[in-house]
Amino acid sequence: MSRQKLKRLGVELPLLPTSTVGSFPKTPELAEARAKYARKQITRAELEALEKKATEFWIRAQEEIGLDVLVDGEQYRGDMVAYFAELMGGFQTGGLVRSYGNRYYHKPVVVGEVKWPGPMTVEWWRWTQSLTRKPVKGMLTGPYTVMDWSFNDYYRDRRSACLALARQLRKEVEALIEAGAKIIQIDEPAISVRQEELPFAIEALHLTVDGLPAYFITHACYGAFETIYPDMLDLPVDNLDLAISNSALDLLKIFEKDPFTKDLSLGVLDVHSHSIETPAEIKARVMRGVRVLPPERVWVDPDCGLKTRTVEESRGKLAAMLTAVRELRTELA
Amino acid sequence: MDLILSSAGSYPRIGDAPDLQRHRRAYAQRERGEISAGEFTKVENEVVAGVIREQIEAGMEVVTDGLVRWYDPYSHFCRGLEGATIDGLLRLFDTNVYFRQPVVKGPIRRKAAIIVPEYEFARSVSTRPVKPVLTGPYTLSRGSILEGGYRSTHELALAYAEVLAGEVRELSRAGAELIQIDEPAIIGHPEDLNVLEAALAAAGRERGAARLLLHLSFGDVAPLYRDLQALPVDALGLDFTYSPKLPALIADLGSAKPLALGLIDARNTKLETKESVFPVLDAVLPALKTGPTYLTPSCGLEFLPRARARLKLETLKRLRDGYLGGHR
Repeated sequence: MSRQKLKRLGVELPLLPTSTVGSFPKTPELAEARAKYARKQITRAELEALEKKATEFWIRAQEEIGLDVLVDGEQYRGDMVAYFAELMGGFQTGGLVRSYGNRYYHKPVVVGEVKWPGPMTVEWWRWTQSLTRKPVKGMLTGPYTVMDWSFNDYYRDRRSACLALARQLRKEVEALIEAGAKIIQIDEPAISVRQEELPFAIEALHLTVDGLPAYFITHACYGAFETIYPDMLDLPVDNLDLAISNSALDLLKIFEKDPFTKDLSLGVLDVHSHSIETPAEIKARVMRGVRVLPPERVWVDPDCGLKTRTVEESRGKLAAMLTAVRELRTELA
Repeated sequence: MDLILSSAGSYPRIGDAPDLQRHRRAYAQRERGEISAGEFTKVENEVVAGVIREQIEAGMEVVTDGLVRWYDPYSHFCRGLEGATIDGLLRLFDTNVYFRQPVVKGPIRRKAAIIVPEYEFARSVSTRPVKPVLTGPYTLSRGSILEGGYRSTHELALAYAEVLAGEVRELSRAGAELIQIDEPAIIGHPEDLNVLEAALAAAGRERGAARLLLHLSFGDVAPLYRDLQALPVDALGLDFTYSPKLPALIADLGSAKPLALGLIDARNTKLETKESVFPVLDAVLPALKTGPTYLTPSCGLEFLPRARARLKLETLKRLRDGYLGGHR
């Protein structure tokens, strides 16, 4: 059914479309430039030139590997929530909090009414799309995750903050569609953390996407999906992108009981492992999905953004994924 | 009425000012092998002393060592055990903080005291009573990958209880009067209350004169509240931030055990006001049959930036003093 939607949008994709979740590692040259920029040793324009160079590098890499739906690689973004919080009205940069071990980050704080500042990702999308004939996904972080990963000094409660964000993020989605994006991914990695809040997370996504002409994907990871399934099927998107490779629980088993009703992106590469999966391992993971869903509804991708891997690891993993998918396309045809 | 101010566990180990980043720098130096384990411990000691000083300055009457030496609430215990190893990262309940998951491969046994030396150091630098904190046996079991040695997570919970019993006994002998046991995992698994009960009974059986405070956070405790009263602990610490119905429930059912009221949201920067806190105290305090009553943050403060953590504790003191002083 969603394949027909894609067709209506003018997007033709092969069986088992391949994509990635969003981020690629910063190229070494860009990583060094970002450090220099933080120390005020280079200008914003110099940094941006290198961000563009790195983005083009990743577009060419994705084309060479043979991916079907491309991403800009988020070479210009740091943290997936802070990027938006730093641009939107109503946020302040917060103090440092620990994530794990010795890793700290500046957690944003909502201090006033959140406000869309004008397009935040559109120029990058437009420029990236101009580099390739393949479709490039529009990418943004969803309202529930932006709310959950920020402090809230302003709104009465979490729901109010989430819905306010949803109304503003809708404007970014509209701007992406206006620019020509046909496939838009709205990341909600926090969606499964509080089962009791799923209803307003769904309400928020409705506010963000309802009535807008695009094929929507939501990526979630690290989740206890069994606690929000099958209710999570009420998320108003066409495709749910779930980690399969790293999940202790066999998610697909729960789909046998309550059928999965959307397209499914199977995250089959473990982005937290240095080792490169073999095509045989990847084929086995995809086949687990194909056993419970018609292959026409299955997409294949890594289980999260690749930004923590090296350039070589990322390319190696994706190349193995494409080898596996090409063999499966022949076998399943 | 005695309302004692206390921390509920962790405290941010670094702040935003460069002079408050010593721990982070030393940690990185230690990872790169640039400083010795002894040099790193010295930095940790200074940070613990600073964290305790800050809690006392903010008005806390019972402090913790901020759990400054813990990598996380799971692996900190399991690194010191025979029969367990440490695996990859997993999200800590509904937070955006991650812990390393223990893997139990065979019978677990304590190689040496884990929390006792930390408690002894903290006590030596504190002018106020120090409350040691333990992750509870049920929660440790739920967060572990079981690969051998035990047939079920329930058996593993009882094995962790034996390990923790040693800690409780030694903490009591070392002078700890109040020992906090964190059991957030039970909130999602009320069907395991009997397992929790058996595990807590085992962990606490040699507590001597020390009192056990069971602390529950990261979820709505109201559905469990009635059953918590029957558990073999001396006091209950409750996170109020998830439970709009909890004050009325306590007002209705009362409490036979002393309570620690986690009224200050340790997960969000917004500061509490008398409008949000006084009505809860009005509802709950008359229903408490025994004291002392503690006022605490909802959980450890490590989820907040350091400056805000301090401000939260100062707010707690201001609200307590205002309430007792009748400043409406």
